[in-house]
Amino acid sequence: MENLDDSDVIPDLVGIVDNSPSLSSLTVENSVFQTVPVTIVTGFLGAGKTTFLNFILTEQHEKRIAVILNEFGEGSVLEKSLAVGTQGDLYEEWLELRNGCLCCSVKDNGVKAIENLMKKKGRFDYILLETTGLADPGPIASLFWLDSELCSDIHLDGVITLVDAKHGLRQINDIKPDGSVNEAIRQIALADVILLNKEDLVTSEDLSELKNHIQTINSEAAFITTHHGRVNLDEVLDLGLYYQTTNLRSFKNTPTKFSNPSKSHIDLVSYGKQDKYLLIYSVRSVTLELNERLTPEVVDAYLQRLLWEKDVVNSLGLTLEIFRIKGIVRYSQPETDHPSFVIIQAVYDTYDILPVKGESRNSDDLRSQPDVRFVFIGIISLFEKTSSSAVLYRRNLELGILKNALLQLLHPE
Amino acid sequence: MSTGALCETPGCDQEARLQCPTCLKLDIKGSFFCTQECFKKVWNVHKSVHKKETVTESVAYNPWPGFPFTGSLRPYPQTPKRTIPSHIGRPDYADHPEGHPLGEQSARGSSYIKALSDEEKEGMKVVSKLGREILEEAANAVAVGVTTDEIDRIVHEACVERECYPSPLNYYEFPKSCCTSINEVICHGIPDMRPMQNGDICNIDVTAYHRGFHGDLNETLFVGQVSESAKKLVQVTWECLEKAIEIVKPGVKYRDVGATIQKHAQSNGFSVVRSYCGHGIHQLFHTAPNIPHYAKNKAVGIMKAGHCFTIEPMISEGVWKDEQWPDNWTAVTQDGKLSAQFEHTMLVTETGVDVLTRRLEKDGLPYFMTAR
Repeated sequence: MENLDDSDVIPDLVGIVDNSPSLSSLTVENSVFQTVPVTIVTGFLGAGKTTFLNFILTEQHEKRIAVILNEFGEGSVLEKSLAVGTQGDLYEEWLELRNGCLCCSVKDNGVKAIENLMKKKGRFDYILLETTGLADPGPIASLFWLDSELCSDIHLDGVITLVDAKHGLRQINDIKPDGSVNEAIRQIALADVILLNKEDLVTSEDLSELKNHIQTINSEAAFITTHHGRVNLDEVLDLGLYYQTTNLRSFKNTPTKFSNPSKSHIDLVSYGKQDKYLLIYSVRSVTLELNERLTPEVVDAYLQRLLWEKDVVNSLGLTLEIFRIKGIVRYSQPETDHPSFVIIQAVYDTYDILPVKGESRNSDDLRSQPDVRFVFIGIISLFEKTSSSAVLYRRNLELGILKNALLQLLHPE
Repeated sequence: MSTGALCETPGCDQEARLQCPTCLKLDIKGSFFCTQECFKKVWNVHKSVHKKETVTESVAYNPWPGFPFTGSLRPYPQTPKRTIPSHIGRPDYADHPEGHPLGEQSARGSSYIKALSDEEKEGMKVVSKLGREILEEAANAVAVGVTTDEIDRIVHEACVERECYPSPLNYYEFPKSCCTSINEVICHGIPDMRPMQNGDICNIDVTAYHRGFHGDLNETLFVGQVSESAKKLVQVTWECLEKAIEIVKPGVKYRDVGATIQKHAQSNGFSVVRSYCGHGIHQLFHTAPNIPHYAKNKAVGIMKAGHCFTIEPMISEGVWKDEQWPDNWTAVTQDGKLSAQFEHTMLVTETGVDVLTRRLEKDGLPYFMTAR
């Protein structure tokens, strides 16, 4: 090899060469950059997840859709199978999960594996993640709900939960030995879209009872009945619920009034002895509406008290346990660079505040909104005094308590 | 054209408009100078850069033919895994065939941040102090020509002398007892037979495990004479850590740490690495909270007395994006430019913070500032 250094001749300097083509190509890439949505598909065994996913994969569409099967985020298997469907054709890929370090890394191995696969095999247009029947979708959703600052190739779009019309009620009412909220209820509580499948197999009375049940748990999810997993894909995909500037689509068709569950809907889901009460858990949606302008600081403080500090207690001194919050808030300073409308999403203790896109901001949907609208989905405890026959039902997720906590922050004495 | 780069002649802070043609031919990054006169002054020192690169080229070792390295650093052969005498207490992953930390894995997904008891605080104080002593021994050995494997040997033996298990060893099968991250390596560099070269910056990341607790710290050091731009990067990175520690006290949100770091890094023209973050540490090596170093993050939680965690900003000269070598560990900058890091383990007190891994001598200043 030529030794360039033997002579002591000082070479003439040259103008700085911009030898960073990788950089400039990155910028170009960024400007047309569209990240790939990920939808999490949950549902109990037999709820029709496989049928639904097969329908999506084989349906004629222009998209290249990847379905990551079962057991994602579980165990330490190094490869997971992956079905990719393009215009009706199906083929299999393998997702290599590197046995790398999770330590102090902000991205899960699964997220990295998907990014790497797309680097090697080309981009997908859409990714569907099927969880095991018993999975709590919350932690899996958090893995994919990445900070937009990370500029990942993928983003969380929404959670779809399939419910079997025939067995759904039994699954909701199933009692866990430790008295905790069962997975069927968690899956419904955390859903953005609920697909009630096999509706043709039950009577209309049974169907409406199940519907009522589901909607008292989660009043906000889009609700679609289907058979053989056939749905209009526009209704379940590309919802854009958790990503950067969001749209208002998910808020359009939702009931504005919270329907108080009648006593017949109070299901004895699980129980355990505590003090002299019988504790019965279930999950409900509670809607808080208020016509007061909040500031970003108040919204942050409110969410942090409820979700992190967990120091808001109900009238019995029990901590409010919240699984999911959806909110839409009008800020008080439209003249500053804060967006005047924001959407709030929380899954367990992770939350984000997303500005409403410009074009949606003047829509009729927004004009008819109160200044503040929060929907809380969380545990409600019902108490039955065991020492006497008198039944005392109390609400854990009490609207008054939630409202007072917010008003305290808004108007401190 | 102007790139905002500064002349590399020591003591010259002029904007650089010219570049060494030999370095360009050899694909050596940087080598910016203001004028031919200035270049002439440092030629006798500068020309050695060419020789080293030529030497590097001649090393036949390349475990991943065709891999597009982002910078000029290359892997060198590694020595066999070192062992720890059985009388020293080991974390759960030390003997797991794939190095899985089962305790950490079972706590994964939970954002619950444990407040340490007095006894646990004492355990953290002891191991953090030992960690500092171990890093000090390693730092004293850094010099031109010393291999990072030699640094690893020193760390390993310093651990054993202090009845410590070196936490990185076998953690997800990490093969060595510390991480050594040179130049464009952001973090998790594996010690190997590469001799350190004049002008390198080298981060040594030490974590010790002693009587059930982990203490974690790292510092970036200069090898020989480094460029002015490298000095500035290392200085600013250190300031980022100091400024982040200044805000730590009960009631502060973990998500606010990143804003402090990013503001200081950006105002100096540098970027913050986003893929790696600070972490809770105690009986577990890495646990809640997660503390991103970038602004606008969704990190969960509020600092409370008794919380114990690390802050460890990685600051890069160019782009923030990272890539990984095929060894599945070494994280490098995507543009091959330098990256520096500093880390402390700290405990939130009733009124503020106790930096457990602080240097007890020289007013706590980092080695790069106090080196002779």
